[in-house]
Amino acid sequence: MKFLLKIDRALAAAEGAALILLLSVMVAMAFVQVLLRNVLNEGIIWADILLRHLVLWIGIVGAAMAASQERHITIDALARFLSVRLRLAALAVAQLFAAGVCVVLVNAAVTFVSNDLAFGSTIYAEIPAWTSEIIIPVGFSLLTFHFLVRAIENFLKSVRGEAA
Amino acid sequence: MNPWIVILLVILLALMGAPLFTIIGAIAVYGFSSVGTDSSAVIIELYRISDSAPLVAIPLFTFAGYLLAESKSPKRLVGLAEALVGWLPGGIAFVVLTVCAFFTAFTGASGVTIVALGGLLLPMLVDQKYPERFSLGLITASGSIGLLFPPSLPIIIYGMIAAVSIDQLFVAGSMPGLLLVGIIGAYSVRVGMSANVSRVPFSWLRLWLAVRAAAWEIPLPIIVVGGIYGGWFTATEAAAITAFYVFVVEVFLYRDLKLFSDVPRVMKESMVLVGAILAILGVAFGLTNYLIDQEVPQRLFELVKEHIESPLTFLLILNVFLIIVGMMMDIFSAIIVVVPLILPIAREFNVDPVHLGIIFLTNLEIGYLTPPVGLNLFLSSLRFGKPVFSIVRSVLPFIVLELIALAVITYYPDLSLWLVRALGTQ
Repeated sequence: MKFLLKIDRALAAAEGAALILLLSVMVAMAFVQVLLRNVLNEGIIWADILLRHLVLWIGIVGAAMAASQERHITIDALARFLSVRLRLAALAVAQLFAAGVCVVLVNAAVTFVSNDLAFGSTIYAEIPAWTSEIIIPVGFSLLTFHFLVRAIENFLKSVRGEAA
Repeated sequence: MNPWIVILLVILLALMGAPLFTIIGAIAVYGFSSVGTDSSAVIIELYRISDSAPLVAIPLFTFAGYLLAESKSPKRLVGLAEALVGWLPGGIAFVVLTVCAFFTAFTGASGVTIVALGGLLLPMLVDQKYPERFSLGLITASGSIGLLFPPSLPIIIYGMIAAVSIDQLFVAGSMPGLLLVGIIGAYSVRVGMSANVSRVPFSWLRLWLAVRAAAWEIPLPIIVVGGIYGGWFTATEAAAITAFYVFVVEVFLYRDLKLFSDVPRVMKESMVLVGAILAILGVAFGLTNYLIDQEVPQRLFELVKEHIESPLTFLLILNVFLIIVGMMMDIFSAIIVVVPLILPIAREFNVDPVHLGIIFLTNLEIGYLTPPVGLNLFLSSLRFGKPVFSIVRSVLPFIVLELIALAVITYYPDLSLWLVRALGTQ
């Protein structure tokens, strides 16, 4: 378990660094683009495309981070009426399910990327589509891992009777 | 497996705390596979996130909103509002309303308003001798009051899902938003007068100092509101300018946030919220695609048409339905899941999609305050250390006021639409 938590923290740190990098590029790029378009009346053609793909990357890496911090949007109406131990146990089951769904999505994403790879789709000019799409299977793998670790953690807490 | 068992199982898992995006994703995958479509269809739809210019606004506005909330700008803006309207009876209550509206618009009603501003605003109200129950209720209710003003995230998401111009929605939301602020403001003045609260005397010096302190933040609403309403730039461009501007102002001019410690933290913090929203959005694209493929909205409409004939009855039932949805779900998921189903039906009843968006958001705003699961109730209870029950009691008058505003907004479409026509927003 200690080993798993160590990997979990290392991955979260890497995701955090990636988010900072991606968002910094986005803020700078978006602003420069507005300036160019409104002042010089011509923007960089590929800038808009890059910005849109950055949204995808930020979204997926952010989602991985949200999984590790248990900050995904939930309904959890039931949880408010359960005891702490039961709530943690229920949460562990729910997160196990979440991990399962993410495995299915990784699978689907691998099919999607390999189809595009075989087809040779491109985003812009010579840039192949897989260079952006690859974040989807990678990202959902990260989500799977985070959900699993949280599920194990919550399960252990529930058994030991620790407060959340 | 029997579809009903699957649905029950999935609902149970959702109630146990499974992230909503995994629930929607599971239903989408199940749906596609039940009609023999490969599950990669879900990913094809999710990949559409990389194909939408308006979506670029979401990370940018969220980042700007979090930077503002983490800096000392709440304090400066409260000072400014106090100097402007503090001398009115009920003036401080107005300060709370406007500052909360501003921050909610910028942080997307994610609960940041109550958490970040509650500690500053509650003592202010109590100091001026406002009744405590009223003060709690006002802050809790104000936590979602700015939803209809630009650059509110829920509006952008509605525009995305409903394929309606986001600029039009922003323009349409202004009058209904002012109506809500006006009604609650008027009530606050009444409470202020009957509780005989103290007022802050007006002074030009005070105003001058407050203006000077907030000088760099005053242009913000002008950039966003003026830019979008004036048609100078789109919501996405406004987001690009706002994010860059707020970053420069808070980090280099006010120096409230440190470049190498605070900014990275705020970036991560805000992008976690963006990730949570986009995850739902991504899988919901897949589910919507499946539902439309199976003509579910069409069938739903036929079902509705059997029982409802007039558009007025439809709107009434829609209101009740949406308040219930708002009680159960947060605003982002509610929009993403419900809009695709309702929109085609509303169209058949001749409800303008822009007007529908405003009705939607007003309803969900009320849902934030309604027990058992209204988000603001719990945030307030946590933030102020009061039992949820006393928070619920404190917001009751505000729920009634918002319901009155909702009725006006719903049955008087011109309130939302005339400005759109007058400005000719595209």
